[in-house]
Amino acid sequence: MSLVTDSPVHSSSSDDFASYLDAQLGSGSTGTSGSSADDETDNESDHESERIKRRKAEKLEILEEPEGSTSREYSEQIVDSEQIVETNIKQDSCSHPGSFGGMCMRCGKSLEEKSGVTFGYIHKGLWLANDEIARLRKTDMKNLLRYKKLYLILDLDHTLLNSTSLAHISSDEEHLRGKVDSREDISKGSLFILEHMHTMTKLRPFVRTFLKEASEMFEMYIYTMGDRSYALEMAKLLDPKREYFHERVISRDDGTQRHQKGLDVVLGQESYVLILDDTEQAWTKHKDNLLLMERYHYFASSCQQFGFSCKSLSEMETDENEGDGALATVIGVLKRVHTIFFHELEDELAGRDVRQVLKTLRKEVLEGCKIIFSRVFPTHFPARQHQLWKMAEQLGATCTVDLDDSVTHVVATDAGTEKSRWAVKEKKSLVHPRWIEASYYFWKRQPEESFSVDQKASS
Amino acid sequence: MFFHIVLERNMQLHPRFFGRNLRDNLVAKLMKDVEGTCSGRHGFVVAITGIENIGKGLIREGTGYVTFPVKYQCVVFRPFKGEILEAVVTMVNKMGFFAEAGPVQIFVSNHLIPDDMEFQSGDMPNYTTSDGSVKIQKDSEVRLKIIGTRVDATEIFCIGTIKDDFLGVINDPAAA
Repeated sequence: MSLVTDSPVHSSSSDDFASYLDAQLGSGSTGTSGSSADDETDNESDHESERIKRRKAEKLEILEEPEGSTSREYSEQIVDSEQIVETNIKQDSCSHPGSFGGMCMRCGKSLEEKSGVTFGYIHKGLWLANDEIARLRKTDMKNLLRYKKLYLILDLDHTLLNSTSLAHISSDEEHLRGKVDSREDISKGSLFILEHMHTMTKLRPFVRTFLKEASEMFEMYIYTMGDRSYALEMAKLLDPKREYFHERVISRDDGTQRHQKGLDVVLGQESYVLILDDTEQAWTKHKDNLLLMERYHYFASSCQQFGFSCKSLSEMETDENEGDGALATVIGVLKRVHTIFFHELEDELAGRDVRQVLKTLRKEVLEGCKIIFSRVFPTHFPARQHQLWKMAEQLGATCTVDLDDSVTHVVATDAGTEKSRWAVKEKKSLVHPRWIEASYYFWKRQPEESFSVDQKASS
Repeated sequence: MFFHIVLERNMQLHPRFFGRNLRDNLVAKLMKDVEGTCSGRHGFVVAITGIENIGKGLIREGTGYVTFPVKYQCVVFRPFKGEILEAVVTMVNKMGFFAEAGPVQIFVSNHLIPDDMEFQSGDMPNYTTSDGSVKIQKDSEVRLKIIGTRVDATEIFCIGTIKDDFLGVINDPAAA
C-alpha cells in the first residue's frame, strides 16, 4: 500500500477537520442562534472567540499529527489558510442553481445529491437545476433574437452524412477507397476514411453551403444517436474550423432518455427550436419542431440496414444532386421560416412560436387539394390514423372518403380501381402515394405527371 | 498553493529489478507511479525532488515481490478555498467560463461574474463590460478566487469567482 493511494484515510480526517472548522466559524458568525457545545464562545468578543478557535484547531492538529506523514509545518499552513477562508465566506442561503464536480456553482458548497440535468457535453461534471436552465434559456433567447437567430438541431447520420463500417464495404464500393479525400484539408473533401474508428464517411452534397448559410440564421447544435467520440469526429469533418458548433455537440451519451432525443439538454426555448432529423420516432415529444429529412443512403450497408435491396448511390457511382438535393430544399424552407418569423409576424417577438410558422408553411404545400385514397390503406384500417392521411392533412390538403366532384386528387397504387377509373374519366389527377411523400419532403407540390399511376402495371 | 513536503510510499518491486540498479529502478518506478496523481489530502503531485531514505525491503510471501518503504520529497499543488489563483480561460459559454491552472479545472459561473459583464455569443463567445473595456474569452488570463474545491483520484475541480475587488482579467489576448 502506498501513501498516495492510502490517503483517503487521511483525507477523510482532514475533511472532518475542515467541517469542524466550518461548524466552528459558522456558529461564530451567525451569532447566538447556535445550540452546540461551543455556544459559550459566541458571547465572547470576536477576538476572543478567534483565539479559542485557533487554540482548538491547534489542539486538534496535534492529535492528528502522529498518523500524518507530513511535516508539521505543512499542516499548519493548511490550517491557517483554511481558517482565513472560512471567515471570509458569508453564510448566505443559496438556491444551488447547478453544480460542477459535485459543488454548487454559486456558493461552492459540496452537494450530496445531484438534481436537474447533466450537461456533460459542455463540460465534464456540469449539472444544472431546472430553474437555472429556464433562466438561461430566457436570457439566451433575448441575446439570440437581437442577432435575429433561432436554434437549429441537426442530426448526423442520414441527414448530414452517411457512414459505414470499413468491414461492410461491398465489392462494388471498393472503388471508393481510391477516391478518399485527404484529411489535410477537410473543408474541401466530402469522402473520408477514419482509420481509428474503422469508418468511412460521406458528407451529403451541399452540406458545406448548407451549414454556412444556416449559421447566419441559427445557432446550431449537433444531436446524434452515435456515441460521443463519433459525434466529435463528425463535427470535426463538418466544421473543421470550429465556427459553427463549438461545444454544442450532443451524443446519445448525453441524453436523458434512452433511444429518445429530447430538447431538455438543449439550452434553447422550445418555441424557437427547429430540428432537422430523418427519424421521427426519436423526437416523440417535439414533433412540431421537426423538419423530417429524406434519408441519405450513400453506402450499400446503409441501404440494407433499412431494407432496401436496390443499388446504393455509391455502387452506381452517383450522388444526390448538389443544387436541388434534400439539403438545398431544406435550406430554402429554413430561410422562409426565418423570414416569416422575424419579418412577417406582427405580434410581440417574445411571443412568437416557430412551430406555428412551420405548421402554416407546411399547410401551404397542398393547399386547395381534396384527396381521396383508393386501396392505399389496408381494409379495416382506420384511415384517419394512417401516416399518409396525416401527412396530407399536415400539408394542408383535405382528405375525404366520399367521392364527389370537389375531389381533386385520387391517390392509388393501382389504376384499375373504381376510383382510379373515375379519376381518369373525370379528368382528375390520379397520383401515386409517393406524390404526397415527395411533396412532404420537398416542401413543394410536386408535378402530378411525375407521379402518375402506371396504367399497364394494373392488374 | 504549492508545498514542498515529504511523503512516504510502499513500493513493490519485481525481483527482476534487483541488482546494482535497484535504487534507480525504484526511483524510476516511484516517479512513474506518483507524479501526476492526486490525493484529497495533498493535492496534485507535481514532481519528486529527492529521496529521503529507502527502508529495508520486505519479501512478500508467495509472490517474491519485495516491498520497500520509500520516503521522498515532492512538490505538491493544492488549491484552497479563498486562495487567489491565476488561470487560463479554456471555454466560455452562457453558463459562465471554465479555466485551468495546471491540473486544476475551475468553473466560474455567471452568478460569480460581475453583473456589469454580459455574455456575447458568436465565433468567440465572451463576457464583456458594457463599455467594452474588459473582455473575457478563450485564452484570457484571469485572476480568480477559489470558493470550493473537490479532489478526485485524477482531477481537481474548483469553483471560482471573479466577483470581488482586484479579480478578473489580467491580460487580454485580443489586445496583445
